[in-house]
Amino acid sequence: MSTFVELSRAVEGGKRNDAKLLTQALLEQGIKPLEVVEQGLVPGMSAIGEKFKNNEVFVPEMLIAARAMKECMAILEPLLADAGIKPKYTAVIGTVQGDLHDIGKNLVAMMLKGANFGIVDLGTNVAPEKFVAAVQEHGAQLVCLSALLTTTMPAMRTTVQAVRDAGLASVKILVGGAPVTQDFCNEIGADGYSQDAASAVNLALRLAETY
Amino acid sequence: MDRKYYLDLAEAGLRMPIGTHLVLHEHADHEAVILDGERLGGVVADTADRFNTPLAVPLMDLKLEKEALLHAMGIPDADIESYHFDEAPSATPSFVLTPRIRATCDAISHVAKKPGLVPMGMGIGPFSLMTKLVSDPITPVFLAGTGLTAEDEPEIALIERAIEIGTQIILDYFTAQIDAGAKALIVCEPAANLVYFSPNQLDNSFEIFDRYVTGPMRRVKALLDSRGVDLVFHDCGELTNSMVGRFASLDAAMISFGCSRQLWEDAALVPKSTVLYGNLPTKNFISSQMTVAEVERLSKNLLEKMRSTGHPFILGSECDVLSVPGSEREILSKVDAFMNLSI
Repeated sequence: MSTFVELSRAVEGGKRNDAKLLTQALLEQGIKPLEVVEQGLVPGMSAIGEKFKNNEVFVPEMLIAARAMKECMAILEPLLADAGIKPKYTAVIGTVQGDLHDIGKNLVAMMLKGANFGIVDLGTNVAPEKFVAAVQEHGAQLVCLSALLTTTMPAMRTTVQAVRDAGLASVKILVGGAPVTQDFCNEIGADGYSQDAASAVNLALRLAETY
Repeated sequence: MDRKYYLDLAEAGLRMPIGTHLVLHEHADHEAVILDGERLGGVVADTADRFNTPLAVPLMDLKLEKEALLHAMGIPDADIESYHFDEAPSATPSFVLTPRIRATCDAISHVAKKPGLVPMGMGIGPFSLMTKLVSDPITPVFLAGTGLTAEDEPEIALIERAIEIGTQIILDYFTAQIDAGAKALIVCEPAANLVYFSPNQLDNSFEIFDRYVTGPMRRVKALLDSRGVDLVFHDCGELTNSMVGRFASLDAAMISFGCSRQLWEDAALVPKSTVLYGNLPTKNFISSQMTVAEVERLSKNLLEKMRSTGHPFILGSECDVLSVPGSEREILSKVDAFMNLSI
């Protein structure tokens, strides 16, 4: 088994100490940091994401895997920055104003990071103008909005409107959360709806490519 | 109370939403109402009257216990909502009656004076409270399920301590509600679900679920039993059959599950001495795609299937029905649809 495959499996299984050791080992072998990400970490997160989509694993396993990946990225990110390598796409993500729930939002953020997106995580209870400012500051191609409560769904509509009103028509807006539906997504003028974190990654990639 | 009371309500075909939020928000000054026990009690009584039920269900606000706990620890009010523990607090803070909690207890006292109404209390369960006190509750629960302990992982120590002090605050709050006159308590554990507990892990052992959810809930049940107060257990999260079985073992007077459950199948998992309540998809009532006709179809289907099981059942909502500004009529039309359906 190659070290890349071992690393992927360590990430998939949430074995963070093994994953960090394997990351170090690959770097010591002279492998470029971006290759470690693309051939070791991303396949591991993709594999667990696929299992999540098929109900073979659940949120806790996803989080454990994401934690392993995050700790490997902490080793790799300074090296990537030194080499001038930036993620191809940037996504601004947050839970809309009035809503403090963040499990779904965090999962999507971690999955997107696993797919090599640059992530600007604004946290929870985020005002529309903060989303707009973050998109402008970071030149994001994608905005991801999360809401868990029916009472905060109107804030999703307001945020979509604020992004459009700011002249960011080409920025793609992805929405999700328990009460959100494809119909609601269409109604408020968002570009995509995903019902789970793993599907959100494929959708985000598709939307970002049409930016 | 006599458990037969709830069985008789089910037998009589009671239907009701958890609708206090809807009625509360008909008051322009609802922010003031929730701080005024007399007026809040009036809203609770009006809600029971509106939906023709003797069960006086309080406002479901599961933030009050966190607020009380952190207030007692001296956390500034403005920080409470988003505050999370960085490390396990060593001392258990004393329970304090915050203005909201005082009003909630006063509202129960107000309802208790009304003949024909069952004054009910409400609160969050110990596990769900813990999930509001730490920034990542899922990872340590999973790690504990792999056999790691509080000595191995500080994150596990943190959640275990949070459950411990949270349970004490909850017991104190429930005692205050019982002292105010509550005859039944609705305990909400929406976080005890398969987002927080991997079914793969539970397939091997339920020890972690019992340690963090069922065990603390048994302490709550023991308090209620000692005061002659009935348990109404609510969990609108996504559950496995085994989780339902664990909750069934709490011997609640009523159990309310979310719409991810098929209640006619759960009837086989829950004793007939426990009334099943629910579980129309009220979170979707805001959507125009969820038509009145669809609500009627779902209600009819649920009523027929529950009748075929012979299990005591009250038709209602999957959770509290929230009033959303601008969508009040849309939501109420769906509530009216299942309340008024003739079958």
